[in-house]
Amino acid sequence: MAILQTKNLGKSFGALSAVRDVSLSIAEGSLHSIIGPNGAGKTTLFNLLTGTFPPTAGQILLDGKDITGAPAHRIAHLGLARSFQRTNVFPAFSLLENVWVAAFATGPSWKGLVYKSTRNYPQAAERARQALADVGLASKQDHLAREISHGEQRQLELAIALAAAPRVLLLDEPAAGLSPEETRRMVALVRALKGRYTIVLIEHKIDIIMSVSDRISVMHFGSLIAEGAPEEIQRNPEVRRAYLGGIAA
Amino acid sequence: MRAWIFIAVAIVVLPLVVRPVIASEIWIFAIFGLGLNLLLGYTGLLSFGQSTFFGSAAYVAGWLLKHYGINVFFALGIGVGVGALSALVVGYLCVQRSGLYFIMLTFALNQLFYFVAYQWTTVTGGEDGMQGVPRPALGGLDFSNPLLYYAFVSALFLASLYIMRRVVESPLGRILQAIRENELRAEAVGYNVPRFKLLAFVIGGAFSGLAGVLYAMLFGIVPLEAISFVFSGNVVFATLIGGSGSLYGPIIGSFVFIWLSESMSTVWARWPLLLGVAFVIVVLFFRGGVVEAWNRLWRFSRQKTSANPSAR
Repeated sequence: MAILQTKNLGKSFGALSAVRDVSLSIAEGSLHSIIGPNGAGKTTLFNLLTGTFPPTAGQILLDGKDITGAPAHRIAHLGLARSFQRTNVFPAFSLLENVWVAAFATGPSWKGLVYKSTRNYPQAAERARQALADVGLASKQDHLAREISHGEQRQLELAIALAAAPRVLLLDEPAAGLSPEETRRMVALVRALKGRYTIVLIEHKIDIIMSVSDRISVMHFGSLIAEGAPEEIQRNPEVRRAYLGGIAA
Repeated sequence: MRAWIFIAVAIVVLPLVVRPVIASEIWIFAIFGLGLNLLLGYTGLLSFGQSTFFGSAAYVAGWLLKHYGINVFFALGIGVGVGALSALVVGYLCVQRSGLYFIMLTFALNQLFYFVAYQWTTVTGGEDGMQGVPRPALGGLDFSNPLLYYAFVSALFLASLYIMRRVVESPLGRILQAIRENELRAEAVGYNVPRFKLLAFVIGGAFSGLAGVLYAMLFGIVPLEAISFVFSGNVVFATLIGGSGSLYGPIIGSFVFIWLSESMSTVWARWPLLLGVAFVIVVLFFRGGVVEAWNRLWRFSRQKTSANPSAR
């Protein structure tokens, strides 16, 4: 059963069409990866799915309901949470405050929004702590986000998305800029999350993709050129051509 | 807790040092600053149009006080309402834009209100200001006694500070700071950013409105300057000098600004030059204003004593 679907989705910026006729179907509980060379339109696709900007063509369906054109803040409440390719946290906040803001946003109640102390929201606090624990940052909850290492900021990036208790998790290159050791840790983390959430993953590092994905879609110049299980994708000649340019052709 | 004791002592001592009128003005200006700082310090929005709300509230409540002899609390309520409502209208237009365009919009709309007040002389008195705003007694309290009015202003200031503290320590306060830190992410985790900015405007406008009415009753006049960009600039100035990063910054700023302007303007006509120098020093060396300067001094003196244990 598909939880998230796009139908002929398209986005053009002037004469450039960044995403063209993309029809995707993400099965509930699966880890679905989207790969493709730089500039293939993967992040633009994420921006469309999360309402950063509206598409110029096509539809987005969540649970069969049309959510095309809904603004980003509403999409978050519908259960789609994303992490960003470039670290995008609240620098002057402690780690706990970072995730708390996300946990509160999609929490059960905003009662007391303007007068109740932030300390009096046990559910949001619990969810925030859980999200930090899930990414292994629980011991650093009082550190400021701008003072932790790049690798830890990538983990925090993921924790902010988790704190929203999403139904679909969209991860945009979680391992971007990480050392081999940090990458291994991030892969273990993503693998641990697999099954608990429906995950859509953008990644450049092919070895990661092949080892964790249930299904892979390949984008090239804004269009989908292939979709299938990891083994099928590995054998697909068109994919090899897109990645290796004219050399392998 | 320490800050509250500090403020309580200041409230008691201040009228012994300066005239009660100036002492009252300091706390009134502090209320005005608290409202601005929710936008400037917490949300990261530089509003150059706060006098729109201050002046509008002062004119409306002043008019009602003058012609209908309304009760003091009713006048203050009207002021809070007019401040919030004008902030809702102005804020709605301003939050659609960001950065420089946002600042220019707050400024331009301020000018619009200013020229309405300037032209509508039958109501506002134009350049002469709205004169003869009374300061009616409340129950048995005769507010024509300046010390009694000072006590009343101080009490309202404390109430305002308490409310603002509740606001900044609430989820709203943290969400506004999240918007200041990273607007894109705040939107992505599920906050309607323009709506929250508007809410900050309305709360800030309510504080400005309260300050405006207290100001009108203090001086018995609503001068045209009360709705001019000069006043908007002054409150930004005072807040930055005090320290926009802290809840108490605008209070210290108000103290420095009003005290300087009242004591120096009689001695030296070019006194704003001093403010200019103070401002340059703040911008270059102490971005967090007096509050940060104080904190650094405190840390510096602590370091000195701990680095040198044998000296003890």
